[in-house]
Amino acid sequence: MFNVDRRLKFPSALILCLHYPACLLVMAALSEEVLLVVKRVRQRKQDGTLYLMTERIAWGPEGKDRFTVSHLYADIRCQKISPDGKSKIQLQLVLHTGESTTFHFANESTALKDRDAAKDLLQQLLPKFKKKANKQLEEKNKMLQEDPVLFQLYKDLVVSQVISAEEFWASRLKLSSVEHSLSNNSKQEVGISAAFLADIRPQTDGCNGLKYNLTSDIIESIFKTYPAVKQKYAENVPHNLTEKEFWTRFFQSHYFHRDRINTGQQDIFSECAKQDEKGLKSMVVQGVKNPMVDLLSLEDKTLDEGYGSLTVGPNSSKTVKENSNSAIIKRFNHHSAMVLAAGLRKVDAPSDQASETSSTDGNSRDSDFFQPPIKKVKLQEAIEYEDLQNGSGPKTIALNLKKSDRYSHGPVPLQSHHYSTSQDIINSVSCIQEEISCYKPCLTRVMPSSAASSAITALSPGGLLMQAGTQQAVSQLVPTDVQSELKHLYTAAGELLRHFWSCFPVNTPFLEEKVVKMRSNLERFQSTKLRPFQEKIQREYLSTNLTSHLDEMIQAAYNKFHAWQTRRMARKT
Amino acid sequence: MLELKRTLDAKGHGVLEMPSGTGKTISLLSLIVAYQKAYPLEVTKLIYCSRTVPEIEKVVEELRKLMEFYTKETGEKNNFLALALSSRKNLCIHPEVSSLRFGKEVDGKCHSLTASYIRAQHHSNPSQPVCRFYEEFDAVGRQVPIPSGIYNLDDLKDFGRKKGWCPYYLARYSILHANIVVYSYHYLLDPKIADLVSKELAKKSVVVFDEAHNIDNVCIDSMSVNITRRTLDRCQTNVDTLQNTIQRIKETDAAKLREEYRRLVEGLKEANVARETDIYLSNPVLPDEVLQEAIPGSIRTAEHFVGFLKRFLEYLKARLRIHHVVQESSPQFLKDIYEKVCIDRKPLRFCAERLRSLLRTLEIADIADFSPITLISHFATLVSTYSKGFTIIIEPFEDKTPTIANPVLHFSCMDPSIAIKPVFERFQSVVITSGTLSPLDIYPRILDFRPVTMASFTMTLARTCLCPLIVGRGNDQVAMSSKFETREDFAVIRNYGNLLLEMSAIVPDGIVAFFTSYVYMENIVASWYEQGILENIQRNKLIFIETPDAAETSMALEKYQEACENGRGAILLSVARGKVSEGIDFVHHFGRAVIMFGVPYVYTQSRILKARLEYLRDQFQIRENDFLTFDAMRHAAQCVGRAIRGKTDYGLMIFADKRYARADKRGKLPRWIQEHISDGSLNLTIDETVQLSKHFLRQMAQPFRRVRPAPFFTRFS
Repeated sequence: MFNVDRRLKFPSALILCLHYPACLLVMAALSEEVLLVVKRVRQRKQDGTLYLMTERIAWGPEGKDRFTVSHLYADIRCQKISPDGKSKIQLQLVLHTGESTTFHFANESTALKDRDAAKDLLQQLLPKFKKKANKQLEEKNKMLQEDPVLFQLYKDLVVSQVISAEEFWASRLKLSSVEHSLSNNSKQEVGISAAFLADIRPQTDGCNGLKYNLTSDIIESIFKTYPAVKQKYAENVPHNLTEKEFWTRFFQSHYFHRDRINTGQQDIFSECAKQDEKGLKSMVVQGVKNPMVDLLSLEDKTLDEGYGSLTVGPNSSKTVKENSNSAIIKRFNHHSAMVLAAGLRKVDAPSDQASETSSTDGNSRDSDFFQPPIKKVKLQEAIEYEDLQNGSGPKTIALNLKKSDRYSHGPVPLQSHHYSTSQDIINSVSCIQEEISCYKPCLTRVMPSSAASSAITALSPGGLLMQAGTQQAVSQLVPTDVQSELKHLYTAAGELLRHFWSCFPVNTPFLEEKVVKMRSNLERFQSTKLRPFQEKIQREYLSTNLTSHLDEMIQAAYNKFHAWQTRRMARKT
Repeated sequence: MLELKRTLDAKGHGVLEMPSGTGKTISLLSLIVAYQKAYPLEVTKLIYCSRTVPEIEKVVEELRKLMEFYTKETGEKNNFLALALSSRKNLCIHPEVSSLRFGKEVDGKCHSLTASYIRAQHHSNPSQPVCRFYEEFDAVGRQVPIPSGIYNLDDLKDFGRKKGWCPYYLARYSILHANIVVYSYHYLLDPKIADLVSKELAKKSVVVFDEAHNIDNVCIDSMSVNITRRTLDRCQTNVDTLQNTIQRIKETDAAKLREEYRRLVEGLKEANVARETDIYLSNPVLPDEVLQEAIPGSIRTAEHFVGFLKRFLEYLKARLRIHHVVQESSPQFLKDIYEKVCIDRKPLRFCAERLRSLLRTLEIADIADFSPITLISHFATLVSTYSKGFTIIIEPFEDKTPTIANPVLHFSCMDPSIAIKPVFERFQSVVITSGTLSPLDIYPRILDFRPVTMASFTMTLARTCLCPLIVGRGNDQVAMSSKFETREDFAVIRNYGNLLLEMSAIVPDGIVAFFTSYVYMENIVASWYEQGILENIQRNKLIFIETPDAAETSMALEKYQEACENGRGAILLSVARGKVSEGIDFVHHFGRAVIMFGVPYVYTQSRILKARLEYLRDQFQIRENDFLTFDAMRHAAQCVGRAIRGKTDYGLMIFADKRYARADKRGKLPRWIQEHISDGSLNLTIDETVQLSKHFLRQMAQPFRRVRPAPFFTRFS
């Protein structure tokens, strides 16, 4: 994993970097406190002043008291700076939308200092907002990725600027946030990666030291998996050691490198190791709950000591290497068990009480009364074959008919001359049967075979007489690209109409505003999307009634709007 | 079914190989039960032997299902009595005794509460504790037979609690008239126990040995003895205790010793007290070898016998003080002991018998303390009874540590047929069955019997749900093998690691990997750890590793199953021939892939094994290599076969050693695995394996289409 010897030789060179966002400042975002003012900053060849405030960065041209450029930190994806050797000293902000703004620091003497000050402050500020922004953005992104229809809609409406992105998301996110809050309650606890210690890759920093990158995630994993370390941390960190020292010692400690037989080193973690050992022992002593895997009780009649062909003598003759090997094995078992337990701890928490009592009971062998249920279940499991079970298929619901007549005939249109009761039908069927039974073919008066066969061809599908009856589906008439375009139009129109209709009844000024806007959106849609499509159809000589339904829907919306407007006018006057 | 019926009809023995997890147990049970019903006079009893306690319980549950089905279909209540028998540890309901953890303690404690002289003392002195459950059973339990039905271990306990009877003795008494008895191998094969428990079972019984692939080792183990210096030291204490007790009794109650002497003179060995509770361990030799004559005069009196034991002990101590390995046969040993300390063969033969009698006379309560001296007496009896099939090896030190003196005397049985012979002779039909018995013909040879039927069955599958792959090379084309010359090779170890790593990324849920030996696994795990392979595997799955400690392994196993259950997925590193490979099934998601790293040959340098191989060659004309390969392949198949159970299950079987591709190895796999190995799955690289596995897993992960239940096995032509 890493070179231990070197590490031990140069322990002072060990550097730890802690990215520990837990120390986030909670900020009062209400007041627009100006954190930094930098004068003589050019933007688009115009001199001005750069302001860094608590929530946004802004720039105003010289002599004016308003900002022409203003970005919320949350909108900023990253900042870039010009290389050191360059003559122009610049800072570029790249937004999530892809736009970028470049500031040129023009104060000759202090340009570099100014830039760095701004850069450093931004470096501190951006990550705080990043999380928030990212979350929303990620969510939007995820929604779009998961739902191709929505994505298409987004392309149709937002990218082509029929409605703005905010409008588009306004209704969506509300939905999703509700879902989100619901799912938040029962959010699944994420377990711990078994390899979290492996993720701490030590890097040499060039001067014979090792550098570990610890993230808060890893720290949390360590704490969750090894409660003993957490306890040590709580005991020591604020008073005796700094955080950095604590982790330095952790990595140096024999505890972390337990496979090395390295006794005699006194440190705070040796106690942890002992504690773990104890925990492992108690786990082993407690035994297993599932009798099917209990190797101790597997054998019915073990041979007495001394019998049998194999002797397992006392392992007095183990070499140091073998010892360390078995220590590794022990450690892996323990580590895996701890990781597993850490993942399950949350689930167990409510039933902790119960499990505790039962586990202590399970320890003593008097609790025979408790044991059989598990054993029974396991035994049953072991002898059952799921493919041989009867009636395990999906349950069907029996059809329960009140009037079987109606079921077998289907809903018959109520027509006076056609209407016949089932009795009639039965009668006629019996009539026909009678006729058939006494039918005698009159062979002299039959049709010639050629006429018969031509009649059959004419009546079979594709024949002369059958053409009128077959209605060719739209899907066969219209080329697929037109079809898909039509589909997109439908979804887009549907979305817009949904927005439109959701405004009714219009009872707030906000809705009034929105309904007007929606109408204009609809008009824009009609002119930018629908019209071109209709023209295209006409050009290709397809029947224009493809879009007639769309037109009808939009017209209905216009009518509604018109009615509403006239009523409002009437009320106003 | 057909083959089994033929076996029963012919009243002969059979060897049947049936794939694991296909309903082997229920098929056997249903046919034999039906046979019993049809010909109640031909077959009076079914003795079903299995290996582990969970297996025994499973069999009884299957039987219960069968009986329920009978009742449902025929509408009449059948009067079958079926019960499971296990050791006291699993059956005791005495609150104090059953709380003990180890079987030996339970047995000893039970003995101290139920021995006849204890109970006699209880009569005169009511403060002497006895087991009330046994008293109750002894008073009334024998008059009314236990009502018919199916009794699992827990049912017996419940019944015992309800009636206040001892379930263990109730079961032991009831097996005499039960229709079906389910118990462990040892009750038939180990002469020490068989004599106590199974002596009176009817001759017209059908005996089934399930999971019998290791039966030869069970036979051998039951008749082998190891003596270390520690044993002898403890023996010394035992002898001293005996001497003191004799001294004391002589002063207080000399009549008792005289009575024993008189009895021995008359040869009335057991006539007066053939009480079941008194016999702690019976004679270690087979019933027909026990001499039916009076104990020779030289060891009749207690003092003489103790003196005799002392001499014998000193002789053994002297034998252990050697600096080189000695191997000799029983006659040589007897000759030597006669020359050195003038111990004759005949008194040695009576050693076990005489010790038992003495221990009873002395009324020694805590009999478990006397296991070392019992062991020595058994050794004496065995070595003087059998002149063939055994060997004595005295090793002054372990091979690995030649500097540390740790002398051991191995008295090792080399012929499994000795222990099983009476079973074949006594019972009319013996069926040996397991999932992995290939090649079939070797079992009759090493167990020395003539079967009327031998058959290997394959299974009909709704889909090819097993996928055996033989991986011979790494991606760098370096051959993978656990061969002795290359096993320490860095490239081989790395390739093994890469294989596991790749598989851990594509196989869902559980993977079980078997190594050839524990030491090998330790080494590989250590070097994987140093190379960082284990870390990468941990990114995909949790790792659990078998340890020599059973309790620790049980915990690891449970955690492994837990991790498979909750979807996290885990890898279990285990050892072929270890406890896990012998007794634990990895069905469904507990084992979607089994990887066998290397060919699990036994440690061939052991002298005991060498002696056994030599014996096999001389007596049965089985070549050494044949036997070794056979033994390795049955263990490999055993490990790998634990993953499949039923048609809905599926699993990869990966043999990671290029030697598996050879015809002589492949041909020794069971038919039901062999027939799925195509030419395209031999000598693959890791990449190819991953591709094939991905394809297989994707196909198998589709929902299982229900098909009409078809018969389980078809005869393999």
